[in-house]
Amino acid sequence: MADIITKTPIWEKLGFRKASGVSEAGWGHTALAAIVSLIYFFPVLVIIITSFKLQTDALAVPAKLFPTSLFGLLPESMTFKPTLENFTSVFSRAFTNGGAVENTGFDRFFFNSLFIAGTSVLLALVIGTLAAFGFSRYPLKGNDTYLFIILTTRMLPAVVVIIPVMLMLRVVGLSGSYLGIILLYTAFNLPFTIWMMKSFFDELSPDVEDAARIDGSSDRRVFFKICLPQVLAGLAATFVFGIILTWNEFLFALLLSSVDTRTVPVAMSQAVSGGGIGVLWGLLAAIETLFLIPVFLVTFFMQNQLLRGVTFGTVKR
Amino acid sequence: MAATKITALALNGVSKSYGKVRALAGLSFEVAEGRFFALFGPSSVGKTTTLRAIAGLVQPDAGSIRIGGADVTHAPIKGRGVSMVFQSFALYPHLTVANNLAYPLVEEGVDKSEIAKRVKETADMLRLSHRLERKPSTLSGGEQQRVALGRSLIRRPKILLLDEPLTNLDAKLRHEMRAELKRLHRQFGMTIVYATPDELEALSMGEEIAVMRDGRVVQIGTPDELFDHPSDLYVAAKIGSPHMNTIQVKVGSDGNSLETPFGSVPAPRIIGGLSAGEALVLGVRPSDLRLAQGAAASLAPSVQQLEPLGDVTVVSLTASGQQLRIVLPEAQAIGMKTGDAVPIVIDPTKLHLFRGRDGLALSRQS
Repeated sequence: MADIITKTPIWEKLGFRKASGVSEAGWGHTALAAIVSLIYFFPVLVIIITSFKLQTDALAVPAKLFPTSLFGLLPESMTFKPTLENFTSVFSRAFTNGGAVENTGFDRFFFNSLFIAGTSVLLALVIGTLAAFGFSRYPLKGNDTYLFIILTTRMLPAVVVIIPVMLMLRVVGLSGSYLGIILLYTAFNLPFTIWMMKSFFDELSPDVEDAARIDGSSDRRVFFKICLPQVLAGLAATFVFGIILTWNEFLFALLLSSVDTRTVPVAMSQAVSGGGIGVLWGLLAAIETLFLIPVFLVTFFMQNQLLRGVTFGTVKR
Repeated sequence: MAATKITALALNGVSKSYGKVRALAGLSFEVAEGRFFALFGPSSVGKTTTLRAIAGLVQPDAGSIRIGGADVTHAPIKGRGVSMVFQSFALYPHLTVANNLAYPLVEEGVDKSEIAKRVKETADMLRLSHRLERKPSTLSGGEQQRVALGRSLIRRPKILLLDEPLTNLDAKLRHEMRAELKRLHRQFGMTIVYATPDELEALSMGEEIAVMRDGRVVQIGTPDELFDHPSDLYVAAKIGSPHMNTIQVKVGSDGNSLETPFGSVPAPRIIGGLSAGEALVLGVRPSDLRLAQGAAASLAPSVQQLEPLGDVTVVSLTASGQQLRIVLPEAQAIGMKTGDAVPIVIDPTKLHLFRGRDGLALSRQS
């Protein structure tokens, strides 16, 4: 029997998967959904548009939303002339009253954000996955109590937790260092990593693991060859949520990073205030747009994994 | 079939409890090498726990398990030479069919060319060659079942454990797989322990059957032995379809007849004799009852229900609130109506007698 070979449309390859056996919605529903998502997306859209505006255009009321007049179709008052000036001044600025071009340090801050968020989320994923497997497969006496305690640190607002955390880091001499903030974010990500990964492991069929044991696998091989590959989608989902949370974290970063380890959210707040000429909206929007790109890419390329969930077609219950 | 005397597997007094639940209570049986051995009993009777103990997934609390003469009670899983097919199939969902089949060999460290050869052989044998690159979730139930079987057979185990392997298949596939399993058993000649709650599967496939109850074996025997000489009411009720008729009876005052709600029947000769007035349970298979030709009827109950099954008809009869089923060739049942009185003859040599107190069978004088 020849398998039916279907061509995958490009939009499906890009990650827009259509659920099989579900007929597509009509135009009415689609239009409604488009309007609602536009409302959701509007703040982000305004930021992106603003990042291409000069200060005068950025301050214009009503807002100028179109970068082109569409060959004279739109009136002058609604259009602006796009510029890349904001993006260059994110990284270096020249003072209007002369002097050398100065580095703003944002290249360093972007590196810090990527390095700190990436390392701590991966670290939390490694530790959390192992811990979750332990909680799921080798339960302790009072297993649920431990799981509950792990979550308590996230039950309070960050502001409340931060004072003891600051003191702890200062006492051990890690305040302001990469190691300090990475460890902190790892601890910050662990509770939900453990909880999420445990739920994925709990979903797996224990029969499959027993089958592997009978087939001659050691416990370690069962974990790496059988369990882990089945929760890849879960790992991806946990990774994305962790990245989004850590990438945007402000309070801990503000109080626990030094000049060298400053992350973008902190630097952003400092770059726009001060200067005495009001907020540079175009510059702020440019930083935000650049800041958006990494998480946007991570989420976009992992959305297949996020949406897929875990399939258990081989096990009937 | 040449019956070998070598014992492939022996369980002796194996017990296992999960908390307060007693799964196995002093389970003992032996399986000769190359035998198709069926563990038969309703669900939660301890069949799965038995198989898991043999495989090494469960450590018994007491008792011993010997495989090929060696005590493996507390031995590691690896090296027992046992493979198992799970009720849920338990295929590796992230691996292709080829890799599912190859898995036990990879774990054994067999080299690649040999693995490729054996995967191909196994796939050919189980008609899976065209599915090798598929993931298990895209296969039909029957194909998944064959992959599970192939994965268990590929490393040529000494003992193959099958845990209700047909339960998740539809009726037609079940029938096919029964034949397929028998064929594989003939072809490979390995020892098979087959757990099933299905009487038909146990009887049609098991060369020897252990009937289980509450974590113990009640009776072991060939299908004929279990059918002809059930050791107690439990076995009598489980084996045979439609089930054996059981009737509360009393031994007559002369000690030679049985008083049934349908009338009096002559008692079979029992070792040790019968005492007058003793309460017994009379068992008679629906196929051992015949219509009386002429005036020799022992009983004459009336028809309550007719179940035509094609070539035979199951007739439910009733008298004094007691039910009696009888299997008749279709021709004899034609024209019967509910309420008709049907004259019946009971052959005293086909009767089974059980003690009313504990349900144990009374042995007949031969």
